[in-house]
Amino acid sequence: MIEFRRVSKSYNKGKIRAVDDLDLVIKPGEIFGFLGPNGAGKTTTIKLIVGLLKPDAGTITINGLDTQKDALKCKAMTTYVPDYPAIYERLTGLEYLNFIGDVYGVPKADRIARIEKWLEIFELSQAVSSPIQSYSHGMRQKIVMMAALLPAPRVMVLDEPLVGLDPRASHHLKEIMREHCDQGKTLFFSTHIMEVAEKLCDRMGIINKGKLIACGTLAELKKLNHEQHESLENIFLELTEE
Amino acid sequence: MKKLLSVIRVGLKVNFGLAVLRHRLIKEKKDIWLVPLIVVAFLGLGPTLYGYLAVIKLAYRLLLPLGQQHLILTYGFLAGQVFVLIFGLYYVVSAFYFSKDLDILIPLPLKPFQVMFSKFSVILVNEYLTIAFFVLPVLVYYGILSKAGLPYWIFALVIYLLLPVIPLAVVSLLVIAMMRAVNLSRKKDALIIVGSLVLIVAGFGLQLFLNRTAGASPDPRAMVRFLTAPDGLIQRVGAVFPPSIWATKALAGGLTASGFSNLLIFAGVSLTLFYGILIMAEKLFYRGLIGIGEISGRKKTLSREGMSRQVSSGRHPVRAIFTREWRIMNRTPIFLLNGVLVVVIVPLLLVIMAQTGSGKGSNVVLLRLLTSTKPIYVILAASCFMTICSCLNGTSSSTFSREGGQFWMSKVIPATAKEQVMAKFIHSYFISLLGIVVASGVAVLVVHLKVVVFAGAFLISIAAAVALTAVGMMIDLARPLLDWTNPQKAIKQNLNVLLAMLADIGIISALGYFSVFLLKRGIGGGMLFAILFVVLVLLSSASWTFLLKFAKKRYVEIEV
Repeated sequence: MIEFRRVSKSYNKGKIRAVDDLDLVIKPGEIFGFLGPNGAGKTTTIKLIVGLLKPDAGTITINGLDTQKDALKCKAMTTYVPDYPAIYERLTGLEYLNFIGDVYGVPKADRIARIEKWLEIFELSQAVSSPIQSYSHGMRQKIVMMAALLPAPRVMVLDEPLVGLDPRASHHLKEIMREHCDQGKTLFFSTHIMEVAEKLCDRMGIINKGKLIACGTLAELKKLNHEQHESLENIFLELTEE
Repeated sequence: MKKLLSVIRVGLKVNFGLAVLRHRLIKEKKDIWLVPLIVVAFLGLGPTLYGYLAVIKLAYRLLLPLGQQHLILTYGFLAGQVFVLIFGLYYVVSAFYFSKDLDILIPLPLKPFQVMFSKFSVILVNEYLTIAFFVLPVLVYYGILSKAGLPYWIFALVIYLLLPVIPLAVVSLLVIAMMRAVNLSRKKDALIIVGSLVLIVAGFGLQLFLNRTAGASPDPRAMVRFLTAPDGLIQRVGAVFPPSIWATKALAGGLTASGFSNLLIFAGVSLTLFYGILIMAEKLFYRGLIGIGEISGRKKTLSREGMSRQVSSGRHPVRAIFTREWRIMNRTPIFLLNGVLVVVIVPLLLVIMAQTGSGKGSNVVLLRLLTSTKPIYVILAASCFMTICSCLNGTSSSTFSREGGQFWMSKVIPATAKEQVMAKFIHSYFISLLGIVVASGVAVLVVHLKVVVFAGAFLISIAAAVALTAVGMMIDLARPLLDWTNPQKAIKQNLNVLLAMLADIGIISALGYFSVFLLKRGIGGGMLFAILFVVLVLLSSASWTFLLKFAKKRYVEIEV
């Protein structure tokens, strides 16, 4: 579970409010999609969850633990995939996965089983011994995703996880995301792809100019709109209109 | 032409743009604390500059009656040009081949020579700033001493602007050819390191050659001939690098036929070589550049046994982070050259220079004599040498900066700041130890240190290295440079590395003054050693404790 309580974050000495008084609860077993136009505050929100940024005000808790006060415990149960896979290019794929396994304390037997499983699913078996420098953008995205799955975390936070993936990998990832949450775990992800959000998310939130302007299931969001049968894309466009 | 000017302007803006600094200083007030620190550092250089000027003045007075005073200019030019020749290599390799902005520039409708021109301009400006420290005092003070008129200052400006062009063009030609060959191979990183080492050794070899040519004792008749012939000494010193002679004669000759003709030769050769690299760039630059960053994978599926062997069985986070640091440092050519290899190469080169320079025998005899009568002096001198060799590298003072855009991982992994800092400390300290060991080897070989003296110096330097490593890490932690696009910026052009070196020199000098003070008070050698060691242990433990506290705070504060 992830819980935001009146969270705010601003840049440029308060001139730009990237996240404005955010109150939000993401329940266990839930895939939560976070939507919003470019620069709306999606990535800032995500960075606040994983500790890359410090909130100016408010608290964020993960399974009841404060991300500021119990930072290490929160990190131990959360993994994160950034929007751009900036990872250690000079390590091989396997060395990178080993590093993640070591710092998250994944036992060797689990590590081997999981690595073999994900290597096959993501079709990286032939590349795992090569330096990440030799990987394409999509392959880097896959190895970061594998690293995020390796510790079998209770909470996953993904920023635009489907960008750069081929259709097969994208399909597998969606299945993995569903499986993850079916085990009672939590998944928070941002996306620009309305179809994915529509099909995959249990609930979704729309953020604009740092404010959460809508939140709920697809059916609940449709109720906000005058014409009930409209697609998520139209709802999104209407809600985020200037 | 418009395109060329535009790409040069962008290149200079990106590298020397004051916009970011202005923003950080005035708007965000982040680096405001740096201003007094830099002022103090420059004030600290005051005595050195004063000494330098005194030497120039003395040399001028000595050479004036012989009519050889222009020799000062030759030495200044020679120093500047040899410096560019040796250290320009780092800049050329990384600016031409490892800047991330090349990915943006290559697809643009620009000719290879235009891209090269832009990169060359950036390095040139860099070199103007670097050689200013030792060339400008010579040029300016000589002008003042000789009461030079306007033509001197105009010629001086032209010569200063042209000064780095010849050595930089020579280095560029070598590097372009080297990279073309490197790009044919699969082992690109290894070849870059080997090639760079060969060029560095060749550069030092040249300097050695110059030293020997200039410093060897000639027979008296030849000496008289050199001293009496006009410009005899200049010809002799500059014979191995003629551009220095042309520059000297141009400046000394001024508005005479000799002045003009030498200026024409100097400018002509500079421009011809520069034109040469532009032509070469057009033919070879992209062939060496495109695909240099690409590493072809092995495409091999791991067997079950292979997987079981290669998957680690739960290393402690400190060990895991140390391994990561170690691998990334050693596999990135620029980091390896500036971090690990520098601590090995510099002491070795120092010993080669000491062995081949003039008067080597007398120095060694003097040192051996001191060892037998006043061992504490030798312990102090040897430990100072070992400590300086250990802190010459920028490993500790770039340890956070080197992570660059990947620092996000250090923020999200469940490893405490203490664990992360400990791993980085062990890594940096290990490199320092390597420097101490190599320097010790050099000291033992050259001066034949006694075991007691060696052990004493070794103990002091390993204790000092703890404090210096911690100080370097604190400086980098205070203002890590994480948004670099070229790995060179993380270590070679990182202000933190310079600040740490200044801090190290400050600490070593303070300890030196402290030791001299105690010796003057009549403290015995054994006692002084004990006091110094205790002080260093206390200093090291204090700096380590402070580093841990500071890291705990900074790992939360640094936002990415």
